[in-house]
Amino acid sequence: MSTHTETVAAGAPAEAPARRKPQLSEGARAERRLGWLLCAPAVIVMLAVAGYPIVYAIWLSLQRYNLELPNQVKFIGLANYGAVLRSPYWWHALWVTVLITVVSVAVTLVLGMLLALVMHRTLFGRGTIRTAALIPYGIVTVAASYGWYYAWTPGQGYLSAMFNNSAPLTSTYKAIAVIILAEIWKTTPFMGLLLLAGLSLVPEDLQKAAKVDGATAWQRFWRITVPLMKPAILVAVLFRTLDSFRIFDNIFILTQGNNGTESVSILAWDNLFKALNLGIGAAISILIFICVVIIAAVFIKGFGTAAPGADTGRR
Amino acid sequence: MAAVTTTPRQKIGWGTANVVVVALALIPVLWMVSLSFKTPAAVLDPSFIPAQWTWSNYHEILSTATFTRPLFNSIGIGLIATFISVVLASMAAYAVARLRFPGKSLLIGMSLLIAMFPIIALVTPLFSIERALGLFNTWPGLIIPYVAFGLPLGIYTLSAFFREIPWELEKAAKVDGATPFQAFVRVIAPLAAPGMVTTSILVFLACWNEFLMAISFTSTTAARTAPASLAYISGSSQFTVPTGPIAAAAVVITIPIIIFVLFFQRRIVAGLTSGAVKG
Amino acid sequence: MRTRGRGWIDSRRRLVRRRLLARSRLRLLAGGLTGVLAASLLAACGTSSAATGPVTLNFYQYPDVSGATNTIIKNCDSQSHGKYIISYQQLPSGADGQRLQLVRRLAAHDSTIDIMALDVTWEAEFANAGWIVPWTGANKAAVVNGTIKPALETAMWKGQLVAAPNNTNTQLLWYRSDLVPHPPTTWAQMLADAQQLAREGKPHYIEIQGAQYEGNTVWFNTMNASAGGTVLNPTATKVTLGAPAVKALSIMKQLATSPAADPSLGVQMENDNRLAMEAGTAAFQLNYPFVYPAMKADNPALFKHFKWALYPEVIPGVPAKVTIGGIDIAVSSFSQHRALAFQAALCLRDKQNQLIGATVGGVPPTIASLYSDPKMFPAYPFHTDILYALQHGSVRPKTPLYQVVSIDISHLTSPPAGISPLTTQKKMISDINNALQSRGLVP
Repeated sequence: MSTHTETVAAGAPAEAPARRKPQLSEGARAERRLGWLLCAPAVIVMLAVAGYPIVYAIWLSLQRYNLELPNQVKFIGLANYGAVLRSPYWWHALWVTVLITVVSVAVTLVLGMLLALVMHRTLFGRGTIRTAALIPYGIVTVAASYGWYYAWTPGQGYLSAMFNNSAPLTSTYKAIAVIILAEIWKTTPFMGLLLLAGLSLVPEDLQKAAKVDGATAWQRFWRITVPLMKPAILVAVLFRTLDSFRIFDNIFILTQGNNGTESVSILAWDNLFKALNLGIGAAISILIFICVVIIAAVFIKGFGTAAPGADTGRR
Repeated sequence: MAAVTTTPRQKIGWGTANVVVVALALIPVLWMVSLSFKTPAAVLDPSFIPAQWTWSNYHEILSTATFTRPLFNSIGIGLIATFISVVLASMAAYAVARLRFPGKSLLIGMSLLIAMFPIIALVTPLFSIERALGLFNTWPGLIIPYVAFGLPLGIYTLSAFFREIPWELEKAAKVDGATPFQAFVRVIAPLAAPGMVTTSILVFLACWNEFLMAISFTSTTAARTAPASLAYISGSSQFTVPTGPIAAAAVVITIPIIIFVLFFQRRIVAGLTSGAVKG
Repeated sequence: MRTRGRGWIDSRRRLVRRRLLARSRLRLLAGGLTGVLAASLLAACGTSSAATGPVTLNFYQYPDVSGATNTIIKNCDSQSHGKYIISYQQLPSGADGQRLQLVRRLAAHDSTIDIMALDVTWEAEFANAGWIVPWTGANKAAVVNGTIKPALETAMWKGQLVAAPNNTNTQLLWYRSDLVPHPPTTWAQMLADAQQLAREGKPHYIEIQGAQYEGNTVWFNTMNASAGGTVLNPTATKVTLGAPAVKALSIMKQLATSPAADPSLGVQMENDNRLAMEAGTAAFQLNYPFVYPAMKADNPALFKHFKWALYPEVIPGVPAKVTIGGIDIAVSSFSQHRALAFQAALCLRDKQNQLIGATVGGVPPTIASLYSDPKMFPAYPFHTDILYALQHGSVRPKTPLYQVVSIDISHLTSPPAGISPLTTQKKMISDINNALQSRGLVP
């Protein structure tokens, strides 16, 4: 089983033509120019929009800057980071975030795989299935969150009534469970789509051959489908993990981060927009970014997920 | 595909699976719809079917431009941002997937950086820039950031599609005397069309869903989008939470998406499965 | 794996030619969209010229669906005799969202904001940052004259009047006369009544705001002030929580751990309290007067037994000091029409318009004499009690860092069942001290 694949999940395995020795021939030069030309607009837009804000955010994180005290801006180096890392609120938020991420990604992976199988293999009503499955993905997250909020409110919601009029949003871990449920409902379609792309690459002949050899569906799944889908699975899990780590909308509407349910993004929001402490807020954001980079690095270097553009070989 | 005989048991099995998927996907949506028809008194009743029906919530939402205009903004801004983003992303994705040039990994790194950086930290400086440029509370004020933040997703998805296309085509085009640019425009781009449609849909949905920038870069209905307008729905007093109108607004925001998905679900899946084996 | 022969490639070439045609259509569409984009860009860059004619003053306020604000603005426009036109700009419906929008734009010195409706806790913050203009001279006299004292206090910072109180709000005890013939006058009595009702198996909850948000801070502040305490010293440099705070916290804890506590207490806000009372599960409710017309509309049967009384006392014999809410109108420092803005603000909150706000908009006025105006009586049968509560009211701690202080307080007092009076009081003192030094994070 190949560990470090060089192709991105949705792409076909590489067909490698003969490699030419790198020389700057006329063709190669034209290719370079074309490459830069084609990339230029995208690069310009990304730099223009995100370049200055990112640099400014980094600069902010090194200042003591409270928006209500605009005359007391002072450079304090890494003191903001120190304050954040020493604060129990940061560690609790990190714990909550990791918990939500791990659980929701794991469950979404399983459900997404099931959904992909149904979308791929179902005998009839494929259009209906796909439409229905894509709707949770298309609904505006805050709109769906309101729905969940009312559903779990005792006396007003059907879910709360189903569970004996309980009020899960009042206790920390039950509220986190509700948040995870809302996340799973919203993101399973996306996971299902990415896995479906990988699933459709598994050649039918292999499956047929295995059937002829007497393998059960279960065996076929674990011995053929999953190994061949590994690149797709890794990419899907990576994307979902990165997104889930930055969860905000669902928590914002369901609990506003109260009762110990705040994620690192909510913590950044509170410090940035409620306390108007720009320095601390920026430091928290940069720390979130560092965590996300670490996750991506672990996936790419550790699990061998293909990073986009990693494959530079010609076909 | 060769004729496959399906046993009744298989049919029932897949039929059940279908029903489960549809039910799980749609029950929360139906709940929102039922809430939107409840009178303020009926909100107290947790049942799925409203005890008292009313159209007044929808009436309240749709009678003023406070909500219908943001809906229009969302559609317009989403379409424009998606179009520009996909065009730019296609060009860059093609270059990344098929050409060799120095700085490629820099581009990848930059788009990954932007995709992963928490937008919360970027809102305040972007706000200052937009105010300085007079873009605050305008359509371009949202379109430009959406394009920029949609590019990483677009580049990634499209480079995967471009990789699918066999190399022979470009070689054949070159043999026919086309420049690399002509090869791109005449031969490759059309083949990546399914991928472009899929990417457009993904980017459009991302723009449609976006909340943080929508609420930070707009102040009136001139540019406010649908998700942000949910925050402006108010009840009869400052403490009353208008459950019915909020649910009605949520449903109204969802309807275009349902129509959209109905139209394009074939395309989405076709785009993703275009790499399937051809016999 | 995959085999694609030359035949396939040729068919693709033919497809390409067909697509060239489709592409020209696409170009048309692209051109059209670019045109739209260009047009909207032009609109963004374009400036409107209004050389002569009435000045437009932008008034930023929460969304008011009752129509009262529109009527008031029409009144003031006509009263100005062509000098100005007030343009009502809506802010988000939640206080946090309103503050965010205003702060962001004031920090950027936005000159398109002229008049703002501020929540009573923002004045210190905005004044300290130099975003609002102090009221002086005749303008100040016009505001001070006849305004209820605690409401006026919310608009003072460092001895200056920085805003004009427009409307206010206070809480009453709402109870069911079919369950409780004589309303309790103290907290101890109310808790005992609730226990008794619980023993009899009747509805017995005491509805109050236990969620982790501003309303919870208001509850704590009311209890603390009613016990005779304060939170900060007048210059907002020191924390002054003492024995009254411990007493306040113990009563809150007592409620939370008694049968009188609603199971959802930890996430309840004013609206949830109202709904629980309307659903018939509660016997008592500490809430704002908006519950009265709502109960009338939603549950007419229960409305017959729906009565009110003054907020229960913490110290028997000492009237409760209920923390007041409300809105003050302020003039932005970056407004380009300051004098006119002051005039307009004065008009917006004058006696006649406050009456409209009270009767149509449901927001109690800040001018004391209005409470004896017969036009108020139909909508405010409880006007005597409200005026009494307002005149004895308390205000929340005044400091530019109020948001952080509030978060620190509600973080410790919600959910109320988690309070342990002495420990919580000590933690509150240290957290608020940190907040005043701008040290550390907010949860």
